Amino acid sequence: MRGVRHILISAALLATMGAATSAHDGDAASDADQPTRPELDIGGFIDLNYYASDESRADSSSGFDEGQFVLHFVSVLSKRINFFGEVSLSGTDSEFKTELERAIVKFEASDYYRFSVGRFHTPINWWNTAFHHGQWLQTTVSRPEMTRFGGQFIPVHYVGAIVDGAIPSGAAGLRYAAGVGNGRGENIARGGDDGDVNNNRATFLKVAAKPDRAYGLEVGASLYRDKITVSTLPEEYDEDLVSAYVVWNREDPEIIAEYATIDRKGATTGTEFDHDAWYVQFAYRLPFWGSKLKPYARFEEIDVDLADPVFTAQPNREGYLAGVRIDVSVFAAIKLEYRHQRTNQDPYVDSAYAQVAIAF
Amino acid sequence: MLLLLAAAALGTPRADEPALAVVVNPGVEVDELSFAELRKIMLGDRQFWTSGQRITLIVRAPVADERTAMLESIYRMSEAQFRQYWIAKVFRAEATSGPRVVVSNDEAVDLVGVIEGGIAVVALSDVPEGIKVLRIDGKMPREPGYLGE
Repeated sequence: MRGVRHILISAALLATMGAATSAHDGDAASDADQPTRPELDIGGFIDLNYYASDESRADSSSGFDEGQFVLHFVSVLSKRINFFGEVSLSGTDSEFKTELERAIVKFEASDYYRFSVGRFHTPINWWNTAFHHGQWLQTTVSRPEMTRFGGQFIPVHYVGAIVDGAIPSGAAGLRYAAGVGNGRGENIARGGDDGDVNNNRATFLKVAAKPDRAYGLEVGASLYRDKITVSTLPEEYDEDLVSAYVVWNREDPEIIAEYATIDRKGATTGTEFDHDAWYVQFAYRLPFWGSKLKPYARFEEIDVDLADPVFTAQPNREGYLAGVRIDVSVFAAIKLEYRHQRTNQDPYVDSAYAQVAIAF
Repeated sequence: MLLLLAAAALGTPRADEPALAVVVNPGVEVDELSFAELRKIMLGDRQFWTSGQRITLIVRAPVADERTAMLESIYRMSEAQFRQYWIAKVFRAEATSGPRVVVSNDEAVDLVGVIEGGIAVVALSDVPEGIKVLRIDGKMPREPGYLGE
C-alpha cells in the first residue's frame, strides 16, 4: 500500500512539475530577454522589545529583548519560476541562533496551478503564513499562542511540495492548497529538515474563499494528517489536525478568529488525546490623528490533554491581551500591550510590553 | 499658510479631477473586465491573463491624483495601507514584487505599450490613440460607475 502511495505521489509531483515548466513553451524564447544573472531583492524586519511582568521566576521578569532580525530574499529566475528565501537571527543566552526559515522554489503555470518545493510556513491556518516572522506586519506584539515561536501545537514549518491556486468559482473566490511533506520531526516543533523521521509523509488540504461581494473577508479550513515518531516514546502516533479561520482583513475593523483541533491516537495502544486551541482578535484603526492609532484586543485559549506524551512543551494557556499600535511612519510601528494570562492552573500573570517593529 | 495650501491640495478630490481609464498592452486578449476581476488583478490575487501572459501592474507614484483615485476606488486603502499590503504580499511569497511605479501618465502609457501583459490606471486625457482601453462592467471611462461598484 505504501509503495502504491509513493508511486502516486511521485507521479503527481512529476506531472505537476512538467505542467508548470512546459505549460507555455513561448517562455523559453522570451527567457532570452532575462538578465544574464538572476536579480535579487532583499527586505527584512526587526523588532526590539521591553517587557515587565509580575511573574515570580528565577529568570528575568523585566528587561529588553532583541526580538528577531529577519531577512527575506526574492529572485525571479524566469517568467514562471522564482525563489523565495527567509533567514532569521534570534538572540539566545549564548549566541544568535541562525535559522533558514523558508526556502521555496515556485513554478507558476497559471493562477490555477502553482507548484512549489522547499521549506514553508505550513499553510494550514491564517496567522502562520500571513505574518509569522514579520512582527511589523501583525497588529499585536506577538503571535497567538497556537502559533507561538518554538511552539508545538501547530506544525509551523513544512518541508516538502505544495500545489496551490485559484479554483474557478466566480464571485466565491475559492482557492486551494495541498501538500505532501516530511511532517513533524523527532523534535515535533520542527518540520523534518534532515529527512522524514518515519518514512511516512504528512499531507494537508486547505480550501479558502475571498468572496467578491465581501471585500476583505477571507474564510478557510484545512485538514493536516501526519504520523509522529519520537524515539523516546514507546509507540508512534497518528495525528489529524483540523483548523478553520475567519478573517475580516480591513482595518476598520480587523477581525481574526482561528480554531484548531488535534486528534492524536497511539498506533499500537489506540490511546487517544484531543487538543483544542482558539483565539479571537479585534482591532480598529481610528480615523483621526492621521489614522496612526490602532487599538486591539485578543482572547485566546489552548486546551491540551497533559497526559499526551508527545506534547512535552505545550502547556494549557488562557488569557487576554489589549494594546495599541502606533504607526509612526509607513514602515515603523510602536506597540504598547498589556497581557493577563496563565499557564496550566498557575496564577494569572500580568505583564506589559513595548515593541518597536520596522520593515526595511 | 503653505501647510494649509498643501493640505488642501492633497485633500478631497477636486471637481476637475481627470477621468480615469484602465489601459492594457495591445497584446492582451481582453476587452472588458468586471470590477471584481480588475480588483483581483490590482491586488495581485490574479497574476495571469487568460491567454497565459503574466500581468504586470503599473501605477503612478504617490501624490498623483490618479494614484489617490485608484487607491480610493479599487483598493479602498490609504497610501500607508497600500505600501504595507504589498510588503506583506511579497513576504508571503504570493508575489515577487509590488507594482512598477511611474512618475507620469506618459511613462505609464509608454510602459503599457511595450510590456507584455501590462496594465495601468491613467488619466483618460493622457491616453493616446491606439492604446487599448478596457471596459469595466460594460462601461467606458467617463460613464458613471466605471471604477466603482
